[in-house]
Order: sequence, then structure tokens, then C-alpha cells
Amino acid sequence: MTPGMLGQLGLMLAVFFSVAGLVSVVAAWVLRDARYVRVARRAALLAFLGTLVAFGALEWALLTDDFSILYTARNHTTASPTWVKFATLWAALEGSILLWALLQTLYTWLAGLRMRDYWTSPVALGTLFAVQLFFLVNVLFVINPFTPVPNPPADGPGPNPLLQNHWMMAVHPILMYLGFVGLSVPFAHAIAAMVTRRYQTWVSETKWWLIFAWGFLTAAIFAGGWWSYEVLGWGGYWAWDPVENASFIPWLLATAFVHTAMVQERRSLFRSWNFALVTLAFAATVFGTFLTRSGVIESVHAFAGGPVGPIFLGFLLVILTTGFALLGRVSSEVRDAGSVRLWSREGLLLLGALVFVVMAFVVILGTLFPLLVEAFSGDKVSVGAPFFNQLFVPLGYAMLALMALGPVLPWRRAEPETLRALAAMAVALVLGTGVGLALGWTLWVSLTAGLFLFNLVALAWLVASPIARKARVLGGVRTGVGALAWSRRRYGGYLVHFAVALTALAIAFSQSYRLDVQKTLEIGESWQVAGRTITVHALRAVEESHRYSVIADVEVSGLGLLHPRLNYYRTSRTPFASPAVAYTLGKDYYLVLQAFDQKDSEWVTLRLVVTPLVLWLWASAVLMVLGTAMILWPSTRRVQVGRTPEVEA
Amino acid sequence: MKRIAFAVALVFSLALAQTVGNEPPPDLSPQVFEIAKKLRCPVCRGESAAESSAGVTEEMRRQIAEMLAEGKSEDEIIQYFVDRYTEWILYEPPKRGLGLVVWLAPLIGLGLFGFGLYGYLKTASRRERALSGLEDVSEEELARALAELERDDTSEEQP
Repeated sequence: MTPGMLGQLGLMLAVFFSVAGLVSVVAAWVLRDARYVRVARRAALLAFLGTLVAFGALEWALLTDDFSILYTARNHTTASPTWVKFATLWAALEGSILLWALLQTLYTWLAGLRMRDYWTSPVALGTLFAVQLFFLVNVLFVINPFTPVPNPPADGPGPNPLLQNHWMMAVHPILMYLGFVGLSVPFAHAIAAMVTRRYQTWVSETKWWLIFAWGFLTAAIFAGGWWSYEVLGWGGYWAWDPVENASFIPWLLATAFVHTAMVQERRSLFRSWNFALVTLAFAATVFGTFLTRSGVIESVHAFAGGPVGPIFLGFLLVILTTGFALLGRVSSEVRDAGSVRLWSREGLLLLGALVFVVMAFVVILGTLFPLLVEAFSGDKVSVGAPFFNQLFVPLGYAMLALMALGPVLPWRRAEPETLRALAAMAVALVLGTGVGLALGWTLWVSLTAGLFLFNLVALAWLVASPIARKARVLGGVRTGVGALAWSRRRYGGYLVHFAVALTALAIAFSQSYRLDVQKTLEIGESWQVAGRTITVHALRAVEESHRYSVIADVEVSGLGLLHPRLNYYRTSRTPFASPAVAYTLGKDYYLVLQAFDQKDSEWVTLRLVVTPLVLWLWASAVLMVLGTAMILWPSTRRVQVGRTPEVEA
Repeated sequence: MKRIAFAVALVFSLALAQTVGNEPPPDLSPQVFEIAKKLRCPVCRGESAAESSAGVTEEMRRQIAEMLAEGKSEDEIIQYFVDRYTEWILYEPPKRGLGLVVWLAPLIGLGLFGFGLYGYLKTASRRERALSGLEDVSEEELARALAELERDDTSEEQP
């Protein structure tokens, strides 16, 4: 048995069991017999195991340097270190779609285990089987990584050097796919709700999966930003690159849906709009893959191209048509009734969702506009960071204001006691902005600082007032604090909100106060810049199996030695700069080796980027993931059926 | 030290043949990067002239530094690149002609989505009143009744 044969076998089994699962759920639906759902659950497990075998076979080929199959012959080299060999599986198109299929089968199996509803389970499971079949059939018939190579080469070119430059490449794509694929579960629940015409319960059923996927999307976006920061060598973490945008659009739509889902659970409102949102969020993940895999757009992150563009476009259209055709059919039945005051939690939740949807619209518009203009008029235009930044500043302020106000206001209508909290928040906003301006910060940064404090006071009030209330009732502050454990999920949400406010602060400072400068220094020479002394001590070379590196030893006063380097890979003509960063709580000192004296090794050219508060960006990412985990962690006490306690205000 | 140069040259002679001589690149002030950030790298994929490490952007940054040294203003420098590459080189689309469309579309989007939300809430509220048999009651009457109801609530709470 060779890896190629094993892989083909695994894929065939996965396709077979996916079809079997699909047939079983159709049987369950037509015969109204829940036993077939149990059969489908087993088929889901077997399809997952089949895909796992294929995944394992490709890893086997990579780790044992087997070049007899197409994927390794094209994307692998014996010179790679073991972790690069392992991560090469998702460094190119075929492997990354196999990884996608693997995660999809995993989600289908796990989500299937948790489906309890007699009516909706067959349809929801069927939708997931259909989605996973799309990916599996693609991997098996269109972009099969196990296609035998007639004359296996002794060695291959290896993966893209940019992907070998940082260990994050072993993590970021998996997080991203876990997020993308995770959104298929809410989509499946929505389809099931529309087909079975049971419009109320699907949101609480799918909320856990939605937030689960949201957490991975968040982690993946930050991880990608950190990878850009550490690898791309220009000291930035976000460039509004099309691939970054493609990951941001599903995040924005999923975030909108997280909030409108609360409105539906609590007030039975927005039901048909939620169907539309969840369809768009899932479609956006496929749209992103279409954009990045089809070669339609060019990007630094688009590492794989291939024939799948039209296929993914077709799949995207199928998703949108299915979702909206069903919605068109049921929208006459879903007649929401209820009045919403703007100045209430649901009013602001809906406004917040509007902000996120408009953000998504701006990102889609800015990403596609150059393509549309070129397609229709042949002109070339560029839409880049300045466009997105200018539009996201006002939208970001609106988001910051709403995310503090929403949780403070009660459902249905404002109560007099919240006025004191609102007054304190207003004082914090004015004070923060005023202090910022007095310190000489720009208006935009000062306003962000003010809104950060605005959020902080809101959160402090939200945390403190229930403790005070419980302490009054139960006696003693300790029992009040103890009672907090009862609303862990709510506090998870607050933690996420705090982290978002912190992110906004970090973005405002790092975007506004960045110093970017380049200088050539002799070895031994010192350079006074940005309050530090930078001294070049030595220039040396290191040879590794897969690359050759030139390293400068540079001392930044007070922060020790940094080692910016240039990596030369065999497959690439130009070297890849690997920056060195000294992280501090205030400013980051980021050094790039731009050039060096190739003749006598007497000088080096360094680029220095000094950016404030970048560390807090990564810290807030950790807090967001922690907050999400707090929300998701299974409750130890029994939850009453049909009522989710965490939304009780 | 010389061994480094030798080894690099040996293994990557092709790469080195590409680089221009052995002259150090020019020193660049923060202002150079500020301007370069607004221009796209003409040969890269989605990177600005400040970010890219491509040869052509190194040359662009050098030109910007030279023009700044000659006392040219930022606008003049950007115009120089627009003349060479057309407005495609600008990462910020111009706020006129075709470029104006992309600037106005978000406002139109906000208006449409906002109007959709407003319309939805109006309908939902009308339906609630219809369901509770209040459709014939005017807005003012409803507000007055609600206010009275609220007063009753508070008077009951205070013993």
C-alpha cells in the first residue's frame, strides 16, 4: 500500500459514506422515521474517518518524502524541516481543500451528534452532507492531490518560502478553516428551519456553533495579522489586502448575526432577516475561497491557484439561491410583530447589526470595485487602505458607542436607574477625549481613547451592579461575587466587548503614531533614533537544510540584541526578509535587514519601524478567545429546556 | 566576513545578479514612507510602495527621497507618479468621475440598509398593534394611554 493508494481509498470511502448519509436523511425525512437519522450519524462518523485516512495518507507522503503523487511532486521538498513538511499539506490548493473537507466532515459528525429535534435534524444533517460532498467530490475528481505522477522526481520545489518563514503558518490556516467551515452549521440549521417551517428554536440550537465558529474566525484573523507583522517585513498587521478582506467579510456578517440572534431569542423579532444574514455569512466563506483560489484577484496571501474558480462560483450561487429561494417562500409566513424602541437594548442591537452589515458592504465594495471597473470599462483603478481606513473610522466609532450602550440599556425600554450609568459613561467619554487632546493626541486618537473609557465605565457598571444587587439580597459582598459564577456566559460577552474596545485603542494608536525610517550603518556604528541607540555589532551567515540566512546582530539600547535576517531559499531568486521585533508594553521596535554589503560586509541597511501599542492588539486577541471560551464552556448546572438563561438581563 | 559574501554568491549567484551593484540603498526619512504608503507597488500583488521589497518600489522610495531633498511637495511627488502610471497608482481612489462611485456607494448602502431596518420595524410595530386590536387607535392616544399605564405602575410600587 502506497500513500497514494491509501489516500484514494480514504477519499472514495468518504464520498461513499457521505452519499449514504444523504440517502439516510432523505429516508428519515420521507418516511418520517428517526431511526434513519441514527444511521446518518454513523455515516457521518465513517465519512469523517475516511477523510481522516486521506489526510493521514497525504501527511504520510509528505513526511516520508514520497514524490509519486501530484501534490508532493509539486509542493514538497526533502529539505524542509519536519514541521514545514507537516504544514505543507495546506500550503497549496489541493491539500488545503482536503483540509477543508476534513474539517467539514468533522463538523457534520459533531453537529449531527447534538441535533435533537425530530423535525429539523434530517434537513440540517442533509445540508451538511451536501456541503461536505461538494468538497469531497472536488478533492476526489477535480483537484485530486493523490493523482499518480508517471515519473516521480527525486525532489520537489517545496512550498512557498513565505509560508516556511514562520511557525504561525502551521496554525493560522487551520484556525481560519475551523471558522469558515463552522459557519456551515448555522447555515444548515437555518435551511432546516425554513424547510420544516419551524422558525423559532433554530437560533438557540445553532447559537453555540455560531459563537464557536466566530471564536475561530477571530483567532484566525488576529493570527494572520500577527503572521503579516512578523513575516512580511513592513511593520504592519493589516493592509486591506483582498485575502484579508475575504476573511473579514464572514467575520463581520457572523458578528452581526450573533447580535440579531439575541433579538430573535428574546423578542421573536428579525426572524426572516436572520435567515438572510446566516446565508450571507456562509456564502461569504465560499466567496472568499472563490476570490483567493480562482486567481480573480491578486494578493500576497493567495498561495494557491487552480481550476476551481468556476466550480466555487457555482457553489456560491447554489448557496445563495437555496437560502434566498427558501426565504422568499417562508417570508410571507414569518410575520414578526412587536414594537422596538430605539433607546432599548434590542434597538441598539439592531443598530449595531446595521453597522456590521454596512462594514461588510464597504469591504465587499472596496474589494470588488477594481474588478468591476476593469470588467466593464477596461479602466484600472485601485482601492486600498486609505479608502477603507477613512470609512472604517466613523463606522468604528459607531460600533464602539453602541457596544457600550447596548448592554447597559435594558430590554424593551430604558429604566431610570440606567441614567446614572449613562451619565458616568458620558463623563468618561468627555474626560477621556479631553485628556487625550490636552496630551496633544490627534482628535481621532483622543476620541478613541474617550470611547475606550466610555466602554470601560459601562462594563464596570455591568459587572458591579449585579454584585451590589445580589449582595443586598443575599448579604455580604462575597456571596454577591459568588453569584457571578451563575452568569459566566454574560461575563464572557463583556470580556469580548472589553477586548474589542482594547483592539480599537491599539489600532488607533498604532495607525496614527508610527515611525518608519531607513538608514545604512557601518558595522559598529551607532544611530540615535526614536529615543533609543541602535548599534550594529556584527553580520554573520547561517546555513540550514532548506535555506541560507544572513543575520545582523543589532543592539537596541535597553531592549537587548535583535537579529533581523535575510533568508535565501533555493526556489526563490529574491531573499525574504525576516524582521526582528522587540515587543514592549508601549512601543514595538521592529527591525528589517534591507540590504548588506555583499562584497566586504562593512555595512548594513536597516529599516526601523516604531509602532505604539501593537502588543495590546495581540493581548486583546487572547482576551477575545478567552471570552468566547467562557461563553462556550458547558454549564455545570442544568439548563432549563427551551429557555437560555444567559440572555436574561 | 568575506566568506559570507562568497557563499551567498556561490549558491545564489542568480539572485545576486539581479541586485544593483554593491551600493547601499539610500537613507529614507519617515516622510518618504508616508508618501510611499499612498502609492501602490506597480508589480506586486496588493502591496503599497512602502511595504513591498520589490526592486521597483526600492527605486520609487529612492525617487521620493530625492524629490523631497529637491524641496518638492508631497502633492508634486504624487503627481509625478500619477503622470507616469496614471491614477491607478493611487491607493485612494480620486473623489471624482468613476472614483466618486466607490466613495458614495457606502452612503447609499447605509441609506438602503437603514431604510430597510426602519421599514421592517414600522411593519412589525403595526402588526403588533393590529394583533392587539389597537390599529384604530391613533399614535397620540396610544402614547397617552401608555403614559397613564406607566403612572399606575409607579403608584402601585410605592405603598
